[in-house]
Amino acid sequence: MSTSVPLIGGQYAVDLSQPLPDAAGGLPAFTATDRRAPHRTLMAVPMKRHAPANILASQLSTDGITGLTLPLAHGPGPEIDGEAGYYVIAPLPEGPSLSSRLRPWQEAALIEFVLRPAAQALEALRARGLTHRGIRPNNLFQGAPNRPVTLGLSWATPPAMAQPAVFETPYAALCHPAGRGAGRIADDVYALGIVLLTLCLGRQPMEGLDDQAIIARKLDLGDFAAVTLGERLPPMLSDILRGMLAEDPDHRPTPALLSDPIGARGRRVAARPVPRAQRPFRLGEQTAWNNRTLAHAMAIEPAEAVTAIETGTMAYWLRRGLGDAALAVRLEELMRQQTLESLKNPKMMVMRAITAADPLMPLCWGPLALFPDGMGPVLASAVNGDATLTRALHEIVDSEAGGAWAVMKEERTPSAVHRTDARQRRAMLVTKGPAGGLPRLAYFANPMMPCVARILKHAWIASPADLPGALDGILAASPDSDILDAHIVALVAARSDRWLDAEIRGLTNPGDGADLALASISLFSALQQRFHPLPLPNLAAWAEARGQPLVARWRNRARRAEIKDRLKALAAEGFVPPILVLLNDPAGRQADLEGQRAAVAELARLDAALRDIADGEARRSALAMRLGQEAAAGIGLLAAAGTMILSAIG
Amino acid sequence: MARAPRREREGGNNGSRHVVWLSGLACGLVVAITPGLGLAAGGLLAPGLAALMLDKEAGRPIARAVLTCGVAGSVRPIMTLWNLGPTFDTALSVLFDPGTLVTAWGGAAAGWLLTQMAPLLTRMTLEAGAAAQTARLRATRARIADAWELDSDADESRETP
Repeated sequence: MSTSVPLIGGQYAVDLSQPLPDAAGGLPAFTATDRRAPHRTLMAVPMKRHAPANILASQLSTDGITGLTLPLAHGPGPEIDGEAGYYVIAPLPEGPSLSSRLRPWQEAALIEFVLRPAAQALEALRARGLTHRGIRPNNLFQGAPNRPVTLGLSWATPPAMAQPAVFETPYAALCHPAGRGAGRIADDVYALGIVLLTLCLGRQPMEGLDDQAIIARKLDLGDFAAVTLGERLPPMLSDILRGMLAEDPDHRPTPALLSDPIGARGRRVAARPVPRAQRPFRLGEQTAWNNRTLAHAMAIEPAEAVTAIETGTMAYWLRRGLGDAALAVRLEELMRQQTLESLKNPKMMVMRAITAADPLMPLCWGPLALFPDGMGPVLASAVNGDATLTRALHEIVDSEAGGAWAVMKEERTPSAVHRTDARQRRAMLVTKGPAGGLPRLAYFANPMMPCVARILKHAWIASPADLPGALDGILAASPDSDILDAHIVALVAARSDRWLDAEIRGLTNPGDGADLALASISLFSALQQRFHPLPLPNLAAWAEARGQPLVARWRNRARRAEIKDRLKALAAEGFVPPILVLLNDPAGRQADLEGQRAAVAELARLDAALRDIADGEARRSALAMRLGQEAAAGIGLLAAAGTMILSAIG
Repeated sequence: MARAPRREREGGNNGSRHVVWLSGLACGLVVAITPGLGLAAGGLLAPGLAALMLDKEAGRPIARAVLTCGVAGSVRPIMTLWNLGPTFDTALSVLFDPGTLVTAWGGAAAGWLLTQMAPLLTRMTLEAGAAAQTARLRATRARIADAWELDSDADESRETP
């Protein structure tokens, strides 16, 4: 492997010897320098292989957004923790993070220096169709007292992955850390509301509680009540926070409205309070008082939920305890539907029941919860990882649960997009061989996820374009490396925009070793032809070795020797496409087979002739006897005639 | 359908029988017209006539060779007898001339020897040709089997003729 590390974006260098512990909201960060402007203070945030971000650089870097730390560039950098590194370069935020000197803030300062600039930055993101999903005190920076804060970098991990549970809605907090999804700008408004509350109190609300307790309390009491329990807040801030922390994201004020706090305070959406039952409903270890806590309890205790739905105890409690007959009817319909469906799927029924009970809940499948737009990062984290998580994801995709989840909340948002996505994912999952399955889906759903093949540990390969060169380097160090790793094939299948489908299919259905060899050589030939005009001697040598079974298929010894010599010469030149042309010669192969058939026929004819000669001794003996005697008679006749003529002449 | 071959066979016997009868008639005529000539011819061609009687093979190949070679050795004495006058005494003198008899019978013996040697020579010639052809075919076979990597021992167990 090459030890030289290229500059990121052609101008940024990363210095791993200078860590910046508090610069990236709790994520590791290092000093970076701009070779074109050495005076700039930059940071480099490493990206993890199994937690890829989705940097929409084209939407972010064209113009700056005031009050927001934007990525300047991203790319492979120096190795970190013994693996290839990939870094997001961003300006170093001015000043320390707000968490480094947490103290109670005045309401005016909060509104002027935190709420207003953050809202403006969020509005700029909303206008671009983006979310931040990383708003927390240690990711907000203030250059100097009484200066507007800056939102820190947020595009080095999957959305909201680094967010503590309290800064997320209970629905997002319930999810797998990588599966919270990009969400909506209303989720950023919620996080900003918790940040405002934290700064107002001078400490993090619900401190000391674990994530499950935070989620349970928010669902039980309501988000605003749960986080402000027993606290006295300034009236204006209290009104603004009540809106920002509304359970329903549709009820939260937009960032544009928050830029005008007076207006935001005046806009009060009167949400109907969640009905609370007179007596609780116990589901395993969980206790439900309302439909939100019931949905949460079902998500925590899915097996108990199946029993409660099937026995009707849940519907009974909903009618008699909570007074929600409509939800009881929906649950009974779900149970009837489950009975009618040919293939019973209790997990699907529970997922539907959870979404019916609380349409804001994420897709809950057994112990796993995620929002469908966060499925990509969860797939990435599951690759080569937890078998239980992998199985759950397989079931979700295979049953198109994402579409079913969206259908259950059709009244809130159209489900067509989710259903289409679910169908597309399932089609990819059920594709056999390396062209399908969860690995390909993971690479498809995470455009920035690198190949996690073991042999590519020291290279960050996220595009088929980088593959030929990297594999050539690996083969140079270890010629026996298995470069046909399933992850490499899956990456190529997912990122090749279908133009390599034929080659990938060839790998899927190999007839024998020779067919597989031809398919693999064909794949790397296409990659070199398209992406790597320079020679790749090691890859060509690999193709030569791999092509030996194909050479052995030739029947004619002279032709085979000729091809072997030619193959060696082509491998030395370092180009795989001519090797493929040499080995994949159907017309030549056909002629070879026909030649062999003709040779077999000729041998049969010769054998018959030899047999005929061997068996013809008696025939030859009889013939010799007959010919000899006829010859003797003829000679006698000639002698008689001759003597007569001589006597007649005198 | 089954009778036709028998008829043909019978017809063939009749034809042969006719030739014998005609030959006998011709000989009888010769003996009747010129008894001396007949005596001399009979004596000189006695081995051939004996061969005709003894040779039972179809076409009597040995008898034909012995007879024709005997004729070759008898032409000159017969012509001498014809020129001297084919009387009975002259025929006897010609017949008992040792040189004449040795020549005529020697010719017949040479004819018989020829019938014994010619098949042997022919057989040797044919076997030599077969061996040469076998060698040529085997070489071709080995070349093809080697070029296409086909089994090369298919004819190994076969004996050379």
